[in-house]
Amino acid sequence: MIVSDKSVNMTINSTRGYKVLIILSLTVPLFFLLDLLVGSYSISVREILKTIFNPENADSQIVMIINQFRIPKAVTAILAGSALSVAGLQMQTVFRNPLAGPYILGISSGASLGVALLVLGTGGLLGGVFVSVAGSWGIVSAAWLGSGLVLMVIFIISARIKDIMTILILGILISSAISSVVNILQYFSNESMLKSFVVWTMGSLGSVTNIQLSVLFPSVMIGILIALLSSKFLDAFLLGENYARSMGMNIMFARMMVFLSTCILAGSITAFCGPIGFIGIAVPHIARMLLQTAKHSLLIPATILIGALMMLVSDIFSQLPGSNITLPVNSVTALLGIPIVIWIIIRNKKSGLI
Amino acid sequence: MIWQGEKIIELTEVSIGYKERASSFNVVKSGISVYALKGELVAVIGGNGVGKSTLLKTLAGFQQPVSGAVMVRGEKVNAYREKELALIMSFVSTEIIRVPNLSVFNLVSLGRFPHTNWFGKLQDSDRQIVEEAIESVGLQGYENRMINCISDGERQKAMIARTLAQDTDVIVLDEPTAFLDMSNKYEIVHILHKLAHEKGKTIVFSTHDLTTAISESDRVWLMLKESVEQGAPEDLILSGYFTKLFQSDHLFFDQEKGDFRIRKTMKRKAAIHGMGFAVDWTIRALERNGYEVVHPANGSSDIVFVTIDVDYPEWTLTCLERTAKFNSLLSLCRFLNEL
Repeated sequence: MIVSDKSVNMTINSTRGYKVLIILSLTVPLFFLLDLLVGSYSISVREILKTIFNPENADSQIVMIINQFRIPKAVTAILAGSALSVAGLQMQTVFRNPLAGPYILGISSGASLGVALLVLGTGGLLGGVFVSVAGSWGIVSAAWLGSGLVLMVIFIISARIKDIMTILILGILISSAISSVVNILQYFSNESMLKSFVVWTMGSLGSVTNIQLSVLFPSVMIGILIALLSSKFLDAFLLGENYARSMGMNIMFARMMVFLSTCILAGSITAFCGPIGFIGIAVPHIARMLLQTAKHSLLIPATILIGALMMLVSDIFSQLPGSNITLPVNSVTALLGIPIVIWIIIRNKKSGLI
Repeated sequence: MIWQGEKIIELTEVSIGYKERASSFNVVKSGISVYALKGELVAVIGGNGVGKSTLLKTLAGFQQPVSGAVMVRGEKVNAYREKELALIMSFVSTEIIRVPNLSVFNLVSLGRFPHTNWFGKLQDSDRQIVEEAIESVGLQGYENRMINCISDGERQKAMIARTLAQDTDVIVLDEPTAFLDMSNKYEIVHILHKLAHEKGKTIVFSTHDLTTAISESDRVWLMLKESVEQGAPEDLILSGYFTKLFQSDHLFFDQEKGDFRIRKTMKRKAAIHGMGFAVDWTIRALERNGYEVVHPANGSSDIVFVTIDVDYPEWTLTCLERTAKFNSLLSLCRFLNEL
């Protein structure tokens, strides 16, 4: 009797998790359609459905708007939201810090340094970097290298300094230092190079073309795949590296997996969409709260879906429905994410986690 | 006759310490030669800074010994690969684990890490082992409780259950009873004792709590300033090693009670008349206040006589022809201090 009671109890948490995952995976397509609806040119639901399911009979102009602009933008929103959230989840687990995220630890600024060096360093030669597939791969690799460099520095520091708050502060310092280097690069570059870089820093979900998507999509998929493959390692990282090692985990290998995945995810998104903050910190907490679990095999799918949802919502807000004005999506995610982060800090302060 | 079992853990002339620069070491302790047999509960006892944690970390393979050999099941601990070692030895550190939303069941099932596949999927047999582990530390019914929402004692039991789920012959625990109250301290050490004796595990734990360590452990590794001694706790007491643990003017080792006490400078003498266990406690109260308790026959003129009256609780004090009665030791002591 007792044994059977226990096994019933044990499944409560995971069934809750699966329920939440099912609800989320039904909500995401809904918001995807909603995101296709809003924009400076008003298009009805019927026209959208017609474009998707019966493009021959649809208005060619509307088909063009949807296929060339709205779908790439909504797909980018989903990719960016999931990628940044999964990167944030991994950082929070490995650094055992509720405030870690790709943005705060300077990984995003590392990516922007990579892009700045490429765009400003090569000068006019790569004026066309943003259009061609080869150029897209160039940008994405530069971002990966940049973010990888920063993450490497942080890992080296974290091997020596155990105090997690110190590491976080160092991350913030490193990202400020990198911003200064980027500023210096801007100062010494000519007008046309500067312009193409500034356009990138203001980059939004909308500036990602179908060509760039052909690079972004596989990159994010690979990053997420590596994260899913490391879910057992991430579970062990929850107890800290000494425990993980005592349970038989190869720390260097596991670190490298997480390291690689985070760089690919945060680096690729930063390369094409510019630095987007706070999604990566906030979403993992929402996932943990909704699922009431610490198991990464459930948390990773949940952060993917919640991240996608958050980014679609941010994109819808940034269109300011009913007007022609588009707000920078970075600001919207910050305004949505910061209250959540403040709530995390206050809640953790109460339970003594920080 | 010397009976020898299998030496599961054996340290031979080990020096422990930390690497300072490329070639220089900060040696914390050297010349450590101790061992542990199968099914023994070993307490590591020593003052702060003597190197208990460093020794346990070296034993668990987290750091290399500066010199000497740390053998576990006949092989050098650093020669094992992580995964091989994880099947032999599990570890509990001093750190309090505070992971939000981690249930007791999931924490304990992390112990199955070296046994499960790449994705960490639990088979039915794994679940059964996890449940048994939870039961053997007395946490049944706590499976779904979050480890942030249970007491320190319960969390420590969950951490021990995790090592049981890992199913290793050797368990190393760094101060598992720090932060715990007396009853939890006894319970944890008792669980460890049971695991060692009933399941044949070799368990090494460090502690500052002499009373529990002396009463429950089979063997003590006593880390003194100049050497490291091992033996049954009683042997170490009888051979006088415990007295060397804290070499201070303020502390002395009470060989009868098996614990350290604060040394008082005795200014005056007192004699006690009475019966029952009230005598012991009256002696303690007088000693704390600087009175050496002597036999009444050795009395001189300046001695204080304390009589425990038959109408207990009442004490009668006789001193220099003056007599006073007190109904508590507190008021008696206050009076003595003003003499």
